[in-house]
Amino acid sequence: MSAERWKEDEALLESLRKGAPGGVDELLRLYQGKIFNLAMSILKNESDAEEAAQDVFMTVIRKADTFQGNSAFYSWIYRICVNTCLMRLRGKRRNETVSIEEFMPVFTDQGMHASPMDDWSKEVERDALNEELGRMIRKYTEELSEKYRVVFVLSDVEGLSNEETAKILGLTVPAIKSRLHRARLYLREQLSRYLREGKAG
Amino acid sequence: MNCKELAYMLADYFDRSMDPRLREELDAHLAMCEPCLVFTKTYQALSDKTRLLRRHIEYEIPPEVAKRLETFVRAAALKYPEKVREYRDQVERDRREKVADLVRAVTAGKLSSAAALLMESHCAACPECREYFDALRKTGILQAGDPPEGIRSHVIGLMQTLPPGEEFFLA
Repeated sequence: MSAERWKEDEALLESLRKGAPGGVDELLRLYQGKIFNLAMSILKNESDAEEAAQDVFMTVIRKADTFQGNSAFYSWIYRICVNTCLMRLRGKRRNETVSIEEFMPVFTDQGMHASPMDDWSKEVERDALNEELGRMIRKYTEELSEKYRVVFVLSDVEGLSNEETAKILGLTVPAIKSRLHRARLYLREQLSRYLREGKAG
Repeated sequence: MNCKELAYMLADYFDRSMDPRLREELDAHLAMCEPCLVFTKTYQALSDKTRLLRRHIEYEIPPEVAKRLETFVRAAALKYPEKVREYRDQVERDRREKVADLVRAVTAGKLSSAAALLMESHCAACPECREYFDALRKTGILQAGDPPEGIRSHVIGLMQTLPPGEEFFLA
């Protein structure tokens, strides 16, 4: 979190509290895209994400004057978004997600790698692959159950620190790290398969 | 350290929270184990790429959704303070009505015994209220806007001290 962003948040909160006309414009400018993205990554459905975003902004406007400045504004609004989305998911039948266990690395009884290992780390440095890779990372992220997905999106995609993510989700830092690691292991495995097989086809 | 242990420690390795001795051990394993080296490199490449490709991974808000959301949020922001004001006005009206009812009940001798007791002990301690209610009982006339602000706040305080389940007025 940059100092500049923090300052912007402070100014925004101040105008929201006062009900200043520019407050809402600023809120939308800074957070509309972010909130929609976060809602989409949890809900994976556009109309659900739109409704959730409406709820999030309603809550922010309603509670701006009672917001305690003891956490950063962005982490407050992210937390509202995560809670709103998880509440919505709770009411629904969960989308089928792939079992993460099937895609963990496999080891022999002696704890050695059981499958061959392709080194694609150099290959993906080519910028020409960026769009395709981005699409695949998003696709594999969507396959994760929301427990892993939210953590991966906040920490690795949005670039928040583990501490920040822990605060937003109300979890401990070790819990965040463990989920993040499993999500990465899954994505690494899927990406390896894709680069080995899928792309050839 | 074997390959499996290494794989499960990679997150610590990359966020630098790893104990230096373990780190040395891990580095030593990497130096002699090709699969682990590849595993580590690709794990790192995934993390790097995820951060770099953020724009491709994130969902962009479709223009029509953005437009609808903007309209909704602007309307909500305008309506909200109005709603709050309406609500507060309503609460205030209700409270004035209740206080007036109570004052009327005092003059008509229709307070419940619990409320009468509260009122009595308050008036014994508060000359302002004692004077006001004594005068009121004599004249029996309630003016518009009665009781004055100072008395009203005392009466509201009194109403809040009535134990739950107790009634203000005689049935």
